[in-house]
Amino acid sequence: MKQNQDITRDRELLLGLAKGDDKSLEIIYSENFPVVLRMILQHNGSEDDAKDVFQEAIIVLYEKVHNSDFTLSSRLKTFLYSVCRHLWLKKMQRTYGLYALSPELEEIIPATEALDDHAAKDEQFRIMEGAMGSIGQPCQTILEDYYLHKKSMQEIAEKFGYTNAENAKNQKYKCLMRLKKLFFDQYNTSL
Amino acid sequence: MKEDMILLREIERYLEGEMNEQEKTAFDELRHTNPLINKQVEEHQLFLQHLGNYGQRQALQAQMDKIHQQLDLPTLRKQAQEGNQTAKRLSIRRKTITNLAAAACIALVTSLTTIAILQNVAKNKSTAQYEDVRRVLNNIQRSQNALINDINKKSKAPTNPGTYGGTGFAVSGNGYIVTNYHVVAGADSVYVQNNKGEAFKAVSIFEDISSDLAILKIADSTFKSQPLPYTLKPQSVKLGEEVFTMGFPRDEIVYGKGYISAKTGFNGDTTAYQVSIPVNPGNSGAPLLDSKGDVVGIVTGKQTTSDGIAFAVKSAHLKHLLDEMPKDKQTRREWSHKSHLDGLNRVDQIKKLEDFVYMVKVYN
Repeated sequence: MKQNQDITRDRELLLGLAKGDDKSLEIIYSENFPVVLRMILQHNGSEDDAKDVFQEAIIVLYEKVHNSDFTLSSRLKTFLYSVCRHLWLKKMQRTYGLYALSPELEEIIPATEALDDHAAKDEQFRIMEGAMGSIGQPCQTILEDYYLHKKSMQEIAEKFGYTNAENAKNQKYKCLMRLKKLFFDQYNTSL
Repeated sequence: MKEDMILLREIERYLEGEMNEQEKTAFDELRHTNPLINKQVEEHQLFLQHLGNYGQRQALQAQMDKIHQQLDLPTLRKQAQEGNQTAKRLSIRRKTITNLAAAACIALVTSLTTIAILQNVAKNKSTAQYEDVRRVLNNIQRSQNALINDINKKSKAPTNPGTYGGTGFAVSGNGYIVTNYHVVAGADSVYVQNNKGEAFKAVSIFEDISSDLAILKIADSTFKSQPLPYTLKPQSVKLGEEVFTMGFPRDEIVYGKGYISAKTGFNGDTTAYQVSIPVNPGNSGAPLLDSKGDVVGIVTGKQTTSDGIAFAVKSAHLKHLLDEMPKDKQTRREWSHKSHLDGLNRVDQIKKLEDFVYMVKVYN
């Protein structure tokens, strides 16, 4: 029974996460990080490794909950733990080649399928990140403010000292076209 | 360039729903007719989606970093290290226990095996110590036998001395002879031969494997019945009582003298005596008689490890066996009379006895 209750609570937390509730994320983060930290340290990782791996796992989870057909079948703790194990395994393989793997890590890890989607999404994120990084200022900030932080053109014009919103808008379109070009250049070659 | 920008602006207005109804239908029419523009629109949608994902993820990342900074990392670190140490210790302990268990199992198996082997060896040894004293007849004896047969022409027995030999003695005047089961076991045919060299064909009519006794009946027309001079003594004899035996360890009857050295036989067998008497292969089935000339046992075997230790089945057991025999094979009871040998000296006893002790020859 206890496990059932736990899973109910986990599901509520996930709903919160999907809605972008900060509190849910905080709870999930602070409850599960210690376990992952311990696991990574046990397998010759550092604290930063633990942070990276765990945050990636949260991102995987985040992508999952935005996918409507995702239902949590195990406890959240189990899910995150196995995803982290898997991510760490991959990282170890990349870094040291096959030989440094501890045999415990080579156990069959059930999170493989959970990570298939993530790899593609992660790739797209990297491309966008790269494109954003290379368009330079003030383009990056203007685009982020408009598209991500949902600021109005008026606010943006004031912030960057444009005489009116129309000028700012023109600037935004120029930036947007450059970003699109950069993004799709990468995106289409990578596919 | 300029046119692209206008198009982009239009697309954005279209997607964000800023167009009025008229413009929207016009743009829809344009999308429909111009696949290039349609493609641009779709591309832009895709792009906005990716941009949105990017934004979400960045926001998430920023949030997580914030949470991460709020965590009490030193404490967590300490806990994790402690946890790992205990885990390590536990796993070491578990490994040790596993190894110890394995070692214990091996030790157990080894000791059990050793015990089993030792017991088996001991058993083998004890069986090896016991030896049937039937005789394997060889070629030299065959020639002797042939010579004897030559002299005694009336015998119809085959000149072949047989494969095995033992001793038997009459338990009735009309041709019933007792010998050891192991002498006649697996026999095709059995001949008995007395000290005069007369051989008679005999058949085994009753066998008791547990006491190692067999009853033979002489099935030969030339056999003449005569009354027995001795009796079967059903009571067990006392320790140290002087006994003697007569058997055929060779083709000649051989006399041996000894005493009862124990009331049980090999390995504590209560149906037998231990007798200190010289016996040799061929003595199997020989009668064991007390000083009055009564049969007290049947010699069956000897201990190989020490000289002069032989075993004999008690006469009580033989009597029991004779009582148990099927009625139609019943021997005539001739035990009631008093022994004719009582009071005679040993030489006379032997002289009277030797006609009733037979060499048993087995062919198979």
